Amino acid sequence: MTARGRELAGLLLAAVIAGVALASVTIARDSEVSARALTYGALFLALYLGAHVVVRRTVPYADGALLPLTAVLTAFGLTLNYRLDPDDGGRQALWVLIGVGILCATLVALRYDYRVLESYRYLFGVAAVILLLLPSVPGLGERVNGVRLWVHAGPLQFQPGELAKIFLIVFLAGYLREKREVIAQGRLKDFGPLFAIWGVAMLVIVQTNDLGSALLNFGIFLAMLYVATGRGLFVAAGLALFVGGAAVLYNALQHVQDRVTIWLHPWTHERVYCALNGELEFRQDCASYQLVKSLYSIANGGFGGTGLGEGTFTSTDGTTLIPYLRTDFIYSAVAQELGLIGAAALLLVFMLFVVRGMRVALRAQDGFSKLLAAGLTFGFALQTFIIVGGVLRVVPLTGITLPFVSYGGTSIVANFLMLAGLLLISHRANEPR
Amino acid sequence: MTIDALSTDETLLILKLAFLVLLYGFILLIVRTATKDIGGAPQESIVLGAAEAAALRAQYTRPARFVVLAGPALQRGSTVEIKESTTVGRGPESDLRIDGDDFASARHARIDPRPDGVWVADLGSTNGTFVNDANVTTERLLQAGDILRVGQTQLRLER
Repeated sequence: MTARGRELAGLLLAAVIAGVALASVTIARDSEVSARALTYGALFLALYLGAHVVVRRTVPYADGALLPLTAVLTAFGLTLNYRLDPDDGGRQALWVLIGVGILCATLVALRYDYRVLESYRYLFGVAAVILLLLPSVPGLGERVNGVRLWVHAGPLQFQPGELAKIFLIVFLAGYLREKREVIAQGRLKDFGPLFAIWGVAMLVIVQTNDLGSALLNFGIFLAMLYVATGRGLFVAAGLALFVGGAAVLYNALQHVQDRVTIWLHPWTHERVYCALNGELEFRQDCASYQLVKSLYSIANGGFGGTGLGEGTFTSTDGTTLIPYLRTDFIYSAVAQELGLIGAAALLLVFMLFVVRGMRVALRAQDGFSKLLAAGLTFGFALQTFIIVGGVLRVVPLTGITLPFVSYGGTSIVANFLMLAGLLLISHRANEPR
Repeated sequence: MTIDALSTDETLLILKLAFLVLLYGFILLIVRTATKDIGGAPQESIVLGAAEAAALRAQYTRPARFVVLAGPALQRGSTVEIKESTTVGRGPESDLRIDGDDFASARHARIDPRPDGVWVADLGSTNGTFVNDANVTTERLLQAGDILRVGQTQLRLER
């Protein structure tokens, strides 16, 4: 079977999975079978069949597993968002539609040679830095939960960090391919860019309080540096720099200290000062309320889960238990409704995507394509680790989205751009010459 | 339409099981198709392109030296030096041709010196490839002193 045949088979199965999940959610809500779930399933299938046709036309030799894996991830996202709030589910569906549209447009635009991007590498680099710093511009950025992530421009709002990540990867792929040999020699003067990027990462933390995005972008940088030079020493040095910088910032910034305290000690036996209302409260009722409620939610799921649509996310009086459930904490919703077995399956789907992405990097023939594929895949993997690890209390929690699953337009669009990149690279690598 | 035959709880349980079975089925499908072609990757390094990897490999690979112990085609006691991946067989398409060895296949075995040592693989020969009289089924690493038998030809790997 060809790659496209496998892709079609995978997409059909993904559509059935989406249909079953949506049926389960609608039945749990209304206690009756309606044709709606079937309609949604059919629309889902139609959307991805459209993408499949475009892939067939533009990149026929591209990897056949990536699109079905994406379909299953968005099926998770659509089902959970629809289940948690039907209106948001509708908006999420619109964003997936836009995301698939952008995927198709990118494939059509770059179908002959995506490597023209390499000549615009510095443009991408400058754009990435501007996007990263955009939320700190007064009047444009908005502070949510003490973290500046959002940009408002009239009725539009978006998270520039998600797009900055993609731009940064394109820049690094072009830059490192050019300077690879020089950097690999390890003379101190060649480390200028390394220090510059470390400085920007730290600046972004100070400016936006956003530890997660700084960790993500710096992690991507180190991974790509390793891929370009093959020298583990650079990674060790970079990590040491980041840990050192983070330690200094930990002492300087209250926000970072709070995050670490919540991570290590979410429960207290005595009342401690609560910054939210200025009174003495148990920490689980104040600063770590969100994380603790999320942990209860995961525990409630147990091994098999409560079933799709049957989890508990609101208290008896109808208030939402976990703030930001649909964005940062979506994984704890998965863990409650589908249990360990379903949450593990979701992680397996993410893992397979990463395996396929790294394989694309292995097969690619030129340095730019290799670095681009490895960077895009590693960014996807690290982002998943940071947010899932944060929700599960493996690492301090920082709010970033779970790729393709969390509610959020910018994130969906950015991840479809990443998918477009991997499809283009794998097509070029597999194309018979 | 309301559900008559099944209660809502039962329907939901069935749907949940169906969802999980389908999901793991999907994962299995991807794993099966994905692992089939993973061996086809043309190179093993993310860092290097194919040509660069081959040059580096050549730089770190010592040529394999074999002493001919027996065989109709090669001079007994002579040394055969193999620098790169080489096919051995009776046919003209083999790199190391052992014409006259009636027990060898046209394309019999492949000897591949790599940075970690000399590897040998059987290429689906009729009579098999043997290392110290053990049949070579999967690709294996040779130690110095091992005796490789292809048809009637016997080669000993020198240090």
